[in-house]
Amino acid sequence: MDKFSATLRIGDLNDYIAPSQGCVIKTENVGKARTAPKEVQTEPVKISLKDCLACSGCVTSAETVMLEKQSLDEFLLNLNKGKAVIVSLSPQSRASLAVHFGLTPIQVFGKLTTLFKSLGVRSVFDTSSSRDLTLIESCNEFIERYKQSISTDDEKSKSTLPMISSSCPGWICYAEKTLGSYILPYISSVKSPQQTIGAAIKNHLCQKLSLRPEDVYHVTVMPCYDKKLEAVRDDFVFQVNSDGERFAEVDSVLTTGDVLDLIQSRSVDFTALEESPVDTLLSNVDEKGHLYGVAGSSGGYADTTFRYAAKVLFGKEIEGPLEFKTLRNVDFREVILEANGKVVLRFALCYGFRNLRNIVTKIKSGKCEYHFLEIMACPSGCLNGGGQIKPKPGQSAKDLIQLLETAYSENMLVANPFENPRIKRLYSEWLGEPGSEKAKRHLHTEYHPVVKSISSQLQNW
Amino acid sequence: MNFADENFELREIQRLDGHTDRVWGLAWKPATGVEGVPAVLASCSGDKTVRIWQQSSVSGSFQCKAVLEEKHNRTVRSCAWSPSGKLLATASFDGTTAIWEDIGGDYSFVCTLEGHENEVKSVSWNASGSLLATCGRDKSVWIWDVLPQNYFDCVSVLQGHTQDVKMVKWHPSMDILFSCSYDNTIKVWAGDGDGDDWYCVQTLDESNSGHTSTVWALSFNASGDKMVSCSDDLTIKIWDSDITRTQSGEGYAPWTHLCTLSGYHDRTIFSVHWSRDGIISSGAADDAIRLFVESEDGLVDGPTYKLLLKKEKAHEMDINAVQWSSTENRLLASASDDGTVKIWDVGPKTGQKKV
Repeated sequence: MDKFSATLRIGDLNDYIAPSQGCVIKTENVGKARTAPKEVQTEPVKISLKDCLACSGCVTSAETVMLEKQSLDEFLLNLNKGKAVIVSLSPQSRASLAVHFGLTPIQVFGKLTTLFKSLGVRSVFDTSSSRDLTLIESCNEFIERYKQSISTDDEKSKSTLPMISSSCPGWICYAEKTLGSYILPYISSVKSPQQTIGAAIKNHLCQKLSLRPEDVYHVTVMPCYDKKLEAVRDDFVFQVNSDGERFAEVDSVLTTGDVLDLIQSRSVDFTALEESPVDTLLSNVDEKGHLYGVAGSSGGYADTTFRYAAKVLFGKEIEGPLEFKTLRNVDFREVILEANGKVVLRFALCYGFRNLRNIVTKIKSGKCEYHFLEIMACPSGCLNGGGQIKPKPGQSAKDLIQLLETAYSENMLVANPFENPRIKRLYSEWLGEPGSEKAKRHLHTEYHPVVKSISSQLQNW
Repeated sequence: MNFADENFELREIQRLDGHTDRVWGLAWKPATGVEGVPAVLASCSGDKTVRIWQQSSVSGSFQCKAVLEEKHNRTVRSCAWSPSGKLLATASFDGTTAIWEDIGGDYSFVCTLEGHENEVKSVSWNASGSLLATCGRDKSVWIWDVLPQNYFDCVSVLQGHTQDVKMVKWHPSMDILFSCSYDNTIKVWAGDGDGDDWYCVQTLDESNSGHTSTVWALSFNASGDKMVSCSDDLTIKIWDSDITRTQSGEGYAPWTHLCTLSGYHDRTIFSVHWSRDGIISSGAADDAIRLFVESEDGLVDGPTYKLLLKKEKAHEMDINAVQWSSTENRLLASASDDGTVKIWDVGPKTGQKKV
């Protein structure tokens, strides 16, 4: 349970009782077992991660529940099943491995490509590429919300701003389970980079690779355990053919730590491993072999949207890094744009549970003056995700974060997502325009307040 | 007062009726009961209300002056006055902590602090009134910054306990927070120096002579160098620390076990409170109140504590809280599952000298 973000742990409602004894999910078997004679129950009731996600009780204290579909073993098993396995790497995971092995992120990318392909993986992609897709859709959504907020003053317009980033699954889970309907309308409808790369692979790119979606097993490598919960959401399952079979955008999520386990369990001398050319179809690597992407180690949602809004809404091109001002603590920083002596854009980075709580209180009481909030459940953001490699003995968490921040941006060219050739191609070949019907269908999602079940309330009595 | 050669008794001064359910917590208002200011006591209850009782300067008896209601929709488990006595914080099983302001004897609702997942069990102000701590069944301890205009910002959410946290208590002079839990431990929390976040600096558990069952409450002596804790393990434990070292900034001086008072209780001890003049009172599930004082017999091996008196049937049911008045009038208040609050006074048995 420690591996989940603190935000998710705080949402853990009922842990007086271990899930085996006290799970409030009523599966058919459980109901029967109560009335039927004992011998009818031939095997223990299995509760999937999906059940846990839909329940207002505990998230799940049992890692076994989660690991069943989301483990290294499951990944290796699928490699041998003849499926076309595609791996999508997050830039935060690359930074973590780079610091651990004393390499650069691009070296890590090349070596992981070698390692995964030697195991039979078909392609290795980069989620900073799909993140540009997420960012473009977010920018588009923000402009729409901003215009709506100033054009009308009816009740509906009140829940358009602040727009809250949606890529942190710990935050989404907390918002749905604990905060509920008053906060959900503020959350951006755009899917996270993990899910947009899944959507792009299974709905579009697999055709280019001459694969059917049902033959693709898509695995992501993430800095965060909560991403495993995100991947199993019902919203991220789609139907491709008429016989009703449903496919997940992401079949399995490995954490950075899982990948380190893989390297160590195979006794791979990682630093000595050859660097393969990376798959550029869906990776932010240019012709010269440089990584590129947006500034901001948690995804650059505030940064990118701020620049875009300044340009589109106020005609201001901002050169160079944005000036984020630290407020209460380093995990709560804001950037503003002034026009005619008035603040016209006020954006904030809001990381970690305490800052998240304060901002939620402000939103609830109608005193939030921000237009956009990049909320991440973990202090220091995604580089400090629960799935990252732990500090070495004697290394403080703060020191490690510093190293990760440096490694993350090391030799990475800062690039505008709108100029990304891979993404331009996805729009021209597949999605059309940002915010189009097709983009809405594949790249946007919905949030659902979790209604507290009577049984979970009873347990809370 | 010399506790050695006199026979003491606890005299019931008044029984305060009014709550319609069990009474959970008590708080004497600071700077009342002295210099002509009438004593004021707050009590909170399973009836979802807080009652404010004030002593009449004429008759000396307590009367209910205000009922704070309709803000909490479940039990009010704990209440605490800010050091100035201006604000009252009330922690409830409804998951919120409410802040009330005393405006000339009228209590107006200020705001609620939300964030705990479920029952809030305890609330405490630091010595300067700049920080508030809450804890609860969600196993977390929260620290709130008290900002101008009655804004409260969460500065830290501490998740070190593995079970329900029963009580939080700030040290009487330093910004060091103590919490005790169903996980049998007492945890000590301190800021990291640059004011950014808070960390657990010590855990008092079985391995350092701590409790072996739920720790329900803790309290400090007047100088703040000793702490008393009580538990479901039927013992009271005394702890001490070289606080001058901590105060001088030479580093954190850990708390160490000084002695254990066992054999006095045979039911859970829910409450313990140390008076300014050194009397430890306990309230327990056996409906009795006990008073302990430092004994001069055992100074060679360090201080020991002896039972000064035991008041059987102080209440008709469990005693949830005992609280000494902060002043020198030596009033003790007790709160019980029987729905009543009682005011006691302690002194030598009238007309009886120990022979």
